[in-house]
Amino acid sequence: MSAIITIASLTMREAVRRRLVAAFAIISVLLVSLSGWGFYRLSHGTGLTSGESGLALPQAVVLFMFMFSFVVALSASAVASLSVSSEIDSGVLQAVVARPVRRSDVLLGKWLGLVGLLAAYTAIVSGLLVAVVYVTSGFVPPDAAAAAAFVLAEGVVLLTLVLLLSTRLSALAAGVIGVALFGMAWLAGVAGSLGTAFNIRAMHTASEISQYLLPTDGLWHGAMHALEPTSFLAQQFAGSPVAQGDPFLAVAGPSWSYLTWAGIWLVLVLMLGLVSFERREL
Amino acid sequence: MSPARSAEHQAVSGHAPDDPGVCARTPGSPAIHAIELSKRYGRTVALAGLSMTVARGEVFGFLGPNGAGKTTAVKLLLGLARPTGGEAMVLGAPAGDRETRRQVGYLPELFRFQSWLTAREVLVLHGRLMRLPKARRAPAADEALQVVGLSGRGDDKVGTFSKGMQQRLGLGAALLGEPSLVVLDEPTSALDPVGRHDVRVIIRELRDRGTTVFLNTHLLEEAEQVCDRVTILSKGRTVATGTLGELKTTRPSVRLRVTGLPGGWWQPLAGYGRWTTEGDWLLVADMAVGRVPELVTAIVSLGGQVEAVIPEHQSLEESFLELLGEK
Repeated sequence: MSAIITIASLTMREAVRRRLVAAFAIISVLLVSLSGWGFYRLSHGTGLTSGESGLALPQAVVLFMFMFSFVVALSASAVASLSVSSEIDSGVLQAVVARPVRRSDVLLGKWLGLVGLLAAYTAIVSGLLVAVVYVTSGFVPPDAAAAAAFVLAEGVVLLTLVLLLSTRLSALAAGVIGVALFGMAWLAGVAGSLGTAFNIRAMHTASEISQYLLPTDGLWHGAMHALEPTSFLAQQFAGSPVAQGDPFLAVAGPSWSYLTWAGIWLVLVLMLGLVSFERREL
Repeated sequence: MSPARSAEHQAVSGHAPDDPGVCARTPGSPAIHAIELSKRYGRTVALAGLSMTVARGEVFGFLGPNGAGKTTAVKLLLGLARPTGGEAMVLGAPAGDRETRRQVGYLPELFRFQSWLTAREVLVLHGRLMRLPKARRAPAADEALQVVGLSGRGDDKVGTFSKGMQQRLGLGAALLGEPSLVVLDEPTSALDPVGRHDVRVIIRELRDRGTTVFLNTHLLEEAEQVCDRVTILSKGRTVATGTLGELKTTRPSVRLRVTGLPGGWWQPLAGYGRWTTEGDWLLVADMAVGRVPELVTAIVSLGGQVEAVIPEHQSLEESFLELLGEK
């Protein structure tokens, strides 16, 4: 257990020392500030009725969170791919695993450290966003905490997958595959929405399968649903019967059974990563 | 059987492979005991049946040309890779045993420490990983920095270190916690002559303390200066094991200055070795050990006058090349 904590704290310390945290902090503050200006214009701009503002604000929050979830996913993919594969290539890990530690503890420590970093990053940016949106427009998303948790879960899923890939592939290959799978899963989700709107069963089924194979998009739907007020959804669907095809609308959040599957998926992939690293020849 | 080969035979056969005493986790067990240790990567044979015994407290050289399988053997002994055949015991426990690694210091051939940590932080981290008591970590780190000549650079980031300084730091990490066995894989490859001298001094100090040192190197001079015994590895196989003296006298030869020998003298003397003439000198190569007095007596009995007898010393390099079939 102490080795897990040692490696987790080392991982977090590395992010701070390498100025990764500082870089993310600056970019996040910049993004949230710019979005604050946008939210202010949306709520106080000329030519928008209060009803139109009520429709635009949730959609803008969802778009911001979509962009942010992409940043979280990319960051998770980048740091996870570098933390194992490139450390094997450079010989950093050989010096560590020759010590009386379990390899699984080393990987678990890295995973925990990276999850901790992602959690802090997601919490801070989401909190800042909610505060800025409220101050500039008065809009409060229905369940911002749940949305942040879903975005974090999405990041953790990708982080865990890339960590597994990184135990066997080069950092570049693991990172690229992770991001590509994330993008494909999102596209499959869009196809599923269109399949539902236009009643194309095959597209809908393909999307569902994709959501089980890689739960990032399923979890993203949870984030969207938590950000959209019921009144906003009702207005959207009243306005257009094919609104279900909109990739930035979520009629319902993920079911408990789906969330359970996402949890099982996470544990399985993490365990696969531990076994893979344990068996890796260094 | 050559003396070197017989030394190897003794080393291996000193303990029968199935002798449970060898495998017992006891202080009296050898520091390293490998039996037919093999490693294949697909069709490539990296190590083909390495058998050796390293006694506790000795400085053991592991020699061989590049690609001989030395680093592979080290990785198998430390559990960084799994053997495809044979077995090895380290400090009386199966190779790679986690608890035993507390007693093993290892300087990898190719390694890097976290460039964003300071040298002292690296050593404290490794002290923590090897479960040194908290109060011992900082003093042990300072001690290691001093031993490897980095005491003034403890607060500098590793990223600012030269390759040689990183190697010194790696050696410092390997010495943390006074391990019973120190495995050094090419420890002087990035060092200047002063650094190499320092490493030799450290190795001798370790021997004086009773620490076993397993020195993996392709630098014969280095082995010659510090090792009690060596194993020579070629193409994944052990070609010889023994003391340096044994290896250097595998095929002794002698140079003689003789006058007054009758015609056809070489016929009765042919059995002593391979004869060649160099001016007034006769060179007898490939002699059996201890036959020089007998040879001199035979020459005298033929009527020859022996004016000089000079034994020819074989350098370790010559022995090495000969054993590898390069000469």
